[in-house]
Amino acid sequence: MNVLVLSGYGINCENETLHAFEVVGFKGKIVHINDLIQNPKQLKNYQVFAIPGGFSYGDDTGSGNAMAKKIMTNLYDQLIDFSLNDKLIIGICNGCQILINLGLVPSLNKKDPEVAMIENKSGSYECRWVNLKVSNNKSPWLKKISTMNLPVAHQEGQFMIPVNLLKNIKANNLIGLQYIDHQKKLAKGQFPFNPNGSKDDIAALTNQNGNVLAMMPHPERAFYHYHNPNWQNNTSKKFGDGYKIFMNAKKFFA
Amino acid sequence: MTNTIQILSIEKTGKESSLQKEHNNKSIKIIDGYFFSKNLDDQKFTKISKLISNDVSQTILTKKNVNKILFSYSNFNWAVEIKFLPGVTDNIATTVKEIIKDNLKDSFKSFELSSTKIILIKGRKEDVTKISKNEANPLIQTIKIYPFKKYLNNFKKNQFKIEEVKLPKKKYNKKEINLDISDYHLSLIGKLGIEENDKSRRGTLGLDLESLKAIRNYFSTIKRKPTDVEIETLAQTWSEHCKHKIFSAKIDDIHEGIFKKYIKGATEKIIQLRKDNFCVSLFTDNAGGIEFNKDWIMCHKVETHNTPSALDPFGGAITGIVGVNRDCLGFGKGAKPIANTYAYYLADPNKKYQLYRQKNKDPMLPANFIAKGIISGVRVGGNCSGIPTPQGNVYFDDRFAGKPLVFCGTVGIIPKKIKGKLSHKKKANPGDIILMAGGRVGKDGIHGATFSSEELDPNSPVSAVQIGDPITQKKMSDVIIRELRDENLYSSITDNGAGGLSSSIGEMAKESGGFIVNLEKVPLKYNGLYPWEIWVSESQERMTLAVPPAKVKKVIKRFNARGVEATIIGKFIKKEKAIVKYNKTEILNLDMEFLHEGYPKLNLKTSFPKIKKEKKKIIKKSSLIDKLHKLLSSPNIVSKEFIATQYDHEVQANSIIKPLQGEGRVFGNATAIKPLFDDEKSIALSQAAYPQYAETNPYDMAGCSIDTAYKNLIVSGANSKKIAILDNFCWCSSDEPDRLYQLKEAAKACYDYAIAYQTPFISGKDSMFNDFKGFDKTGKSVKISIPPTLLISSIGVVDRISHLTKITPDDGDILLVLGATRNELQDSVYSKIIGYEKSKNPVVNSKDALRTYKNFEKANKLRIINSAIGIDLGGLGIAVIKMGIASKKGLKIDLKLKNKISVDQFLFSETQSRILISMKKNKLANFKKIFKAYDYTIIGKCTGSDVIEFKDNKKIIRGKISDFAKSYKQNIKGL
Repeated sequence: MNVLVLSGYGINCENETLHAFEVVGFKGKIVHINDLIQNPKQLKNYQVFAIPGGFSYGDDTGSGNAMAKKIMTNLYDQLIDFSLNDKLIIGICNGCQILINLGLVPSLNKKDPEVAMIENKSGSYECRWVNLKVSNNKSPWLKKISTMNLPVAHQEGQFMIPVNLLKNIKANNLIGLQYIDHQKKLAKGQFPFNPNGSKDDIAALTNQNGNVLAMMPHPERAFYHYHNPNWQNNTSKKFGDGYKIFMNAKKFFA
Repeated sequence: MTNTIQILSIEKTGKESSLQKEHNNKSIKIIDGYFFSKNLDDQKFTKISKLISNDVSQTILTKKNVNKILFSYSNFNWAVEIKFLPGVTDNIATTVKEIIKDNLKDSFKSFELSSTKIILIKGRKEDVTKISKNEANPLIQTIKIYPFKKYLNNFKKNQFKIEEVKLPKKKYNKKEINLDISDYHLSLIGKLGIEENDKSRRGTLGLDLESLKAIRNYFSTIKRKPTDVEIETLAQTWSEHCKHKIFSAKIDDIHEGIFKKYIKGATEKIIQLRKDNFCVSLFTDNAGGIEFNKDWIMCHKVETHNTPSALDPFGGAITGIVGVNRDCLGFGKGAKPIANTYAYYLADPNKKYQLYRQKNKDPMLPANFIAKGIISGVRVGGNCSGIPTPQGNVYFDDRFAGKPLVFCGTVGIIPKKIKGKLSHKKKANPGDIILMAGGRVGKDGIHGATFSSEELDPNSPVSAVQIGDPITQKKMSDVIIRELRDENLYSSITDNGAGGLSSSIGEMAKESGGFIVNLEKVPLKYNGLYPWEIWVSESQERMTLAVPPAKVKKVIKRFNARGVEATIIGKFIKKEKAIVKYNKTEILNLDMEFLHEGYPKLNLKTSFPKIKKEKKKIIKKSSLIDKLHKLLSSPNIVSKEFIATQYDHEVQANSIIKPLQGEGRVFGNATAIKPLFDDEKSIALSQAAYPQYAETNPYDMAGCSIDTAYKNLIVSGANSKKIAILDNFCWCSSDEPDRLYQLKEAAKACYDYAIAYQTPFISGKDSMFNDFKGFDKTGKSVKISIPPTLLISSIGVVDRISHLTKITPDDGDILLVLGATRNELQDSVYSKIIGYEKSKNPVVNSKDALRTYKNFEKANKLRIINSAIGIDLGGLGIAVIKMGIASKKGLKIDLKLKNKISVDQFLFSETQSRILISMKKNKLANFKKIFKAYDYTIIGKCTGSDVIEFKDNKKIIRGKISDFAKSYKQNIKGL
């Protein structure tokens, strides 16, 4: 089991993302986008393609846009191939924004991007822990997870989805994660439970096949129990909630 | 055919909402504009606009649709166009250029573009002027306000203009400067700069008469005239900013100077006294290094960026943070930055100070503009670099109205050995190539080092402002830390900060002997720079490397493959000469010895200052609960959560004690990171400064800073034997004997307390002239000096995860105060807000303090302590409330007081060296085995209810936790 973790141009969560994959049993490599463009055939050696969080191109012209355009021009077909095989793709935070800009999720019309990531309703960057529930979604990434406590850290985390498409997304069960309040009910847009004002409290989307997951929260930052904000009150478990996402990837190939 | 691309968001953006909220719900729409230097034909327009916009969320304006689309939002009547002045770093434009280059290949070459914000408003002209003042800084941006109709007209007629940097085409002739002139004319060169042929002056060199005479003497001995480049270089190298002349000067009877005697002296003494030296690299490198574990070194550096932040708060602060990141990259062979710290000392953002640099013109930026700009500068710099920013604080005082203080720090980590060699040792060898990597050189930041050493006066040059580009730096840093360093591809590395190439190469060449640089090889942002400008420019995001000739090709190839420029600009030599050439003409040739040591040493005298006695303030009569609310909601105590949530403190997944603590999210005074996945050791960080105590007694002020910074680490669980500290002195009027007296006193306290606590200073920096000289709104001349501010940053190792403490007590816990409380209300937050009668300023008794800390450490390791919080601003009362808010659990405090101390004194005195702790009742017996009865007071218990109660004799006063939380989490007015 091999994972390719993308880097370059301001992506910055590659180390901890790779670490999380390695702990659950993957072998992996951080590959610079320019090296991948030079030699796209190396994708063959990997079962998981991960785009970690960060600030590719400083979010200029919209978060994830510039990196998505670079991938579209240079690697698009290879990535589509990857997604059509029985392989997994994950985009976390900036990676999520890149996948959305590439149109790899929800990918219902297989053409242009249909969803946009826009600025948080608060207008400010939000670094905070949120509660999430897994929606009715069959993605292997989310298997057997009901709720999670993970951190978000973004300026543009609001999913903007045209009304008809949203219906379609719901009909196809492509919502991956939703923000919930402290009583485990949907946040209904209420800040800070929903940190960005995302419609229908959407925090993650998948493609129809479920093998591509674009999520705004950071599972790799909630990997160990001591990552949790008040971990001292509960030191019985070794891992945090984010661990489950990486374990699911392992189980998919096991 | 058009020369702009203009894009708007279909839905209202967060920025638009907040602007509307700030300006009485005026209709506002913001357009992202890109102005090109060349016309785009229809095909290019379509291609490029598709590349830089989003189909789903944005609309691209065209001549055809512009009317209809904009009218669908509102009947706008004004447009404000904001773009950067030519030559100012425009990061968005850089990205767009890169997108075009990457995706359209060669079809569109050689063009300039400028990113522009166009704000459309429906409102009156006054509203528009107000908005433009809030949104732009005339020092770095052009602001055009015109009627909406004209905007439409401009759009249809392609009348948006881009201002390119246009420098006159000039041929460089070697310029020699005659120094055989009168003292008056000599001092003009120092104050106003070298005179150009047209009689204009280049801007301040910050050289005093004595220094210019030393230069004159040197050149008369070698029998030639100096070139302009030589004088500029000496000005940079000898600047207060680079040489710290005041700290190294003879002061009264201290011949070796304050730095050698009190700061370095303390560290040397501690190393001598202690058997377990954990210091690795001190004072000489870009940061100070200490041992983290047996395989790793951690380094820490804190810088200030005050003057630039006064002029351009956003640019000043972002440059501050990415600049100190480079200090870390330039530590040893290059340490990886793993945490940022910040501390801002600001004027009240809710007040209008109305200060002017010149009579009735050139206004200072408003206090809230400065505060917001600084906070967001560090946000963008830190977040975009992927370095967590967990640790910081903000303090407000009117005396920062003329000059804000912006402290930016970075912690880094590096393996002790790289390919078998000690990583903190580096040496540029004779023959090594001088390689400059990263960004290009422009006019930005020229004279930064010399002017930051001067008071802010009407001649402060605007070209001194830089804006950091974190992405360029991140790309460069990734190559260095991940690829080049671990393959041992260079022999030395340092950062280009103050003084640019002249400083970085000048410093590095000490390792080999000397250098030869060919300035024409330096890649430029635009043509037309004079050689001296290239040499001293402080354009950001550059590192200088010494690379063995055999490896240089490989190094350049690696940089280029990651989209980073790297250029050979010279070589290091054995001969102790500094030589600079420009197109083969030698324009600088100095002895290294003179370059670094030729400046005249100062001889300073101090005198005891007149102490301004604070007028006794009448105590306002109010209830205890009322007082608690007043203190909690005061700007210096109120939660800084709004900053903590904007600063990514989770990236790198190393956060272990976060800035917001407990379920109730209290802004903590120490944080911790766990940098390695395979070692449970953590790094605890804290910082402290007490400018409010400075005028009363600078010695005690410094003592309090060291005590607090140290205490916070002990409370967080750090190993007392592995704590180091950093000093950042920000002083004022350092040419006045009474200010120098305060400086000497504070430095003396640094020595005494560092030795008492056995905490070595590992790095430091000073900024000596934080004064504003200008005019008030009536045209009266004013001088505003900051209160002397000594920021002590502390860094320590926490050996085990289980040693890390929390601030939240559990139901049934008993509460205790460790350390005695004295009547020390003078200069406290309480005294400012409520008033005080007879009291003293806080004084640290290091013997008592250390006993408390040692016992705490022991008890914590034995798991006797359940929760703990260091007591600081606002005293015990505020610490109690913070515990209650953090845990959301009720507390009951019994105010049975001994020692003739009043309730208010007990609750609000800022007596140092105290810790509020909680523990299970059944641990008390074990606790008593460690602590003597006179070292603690049991003050109450955790009830788990929703109220905090104070029992004073028979009276019970109570307040709801949720109400306290409301006061504590209030917004700071003006921000």
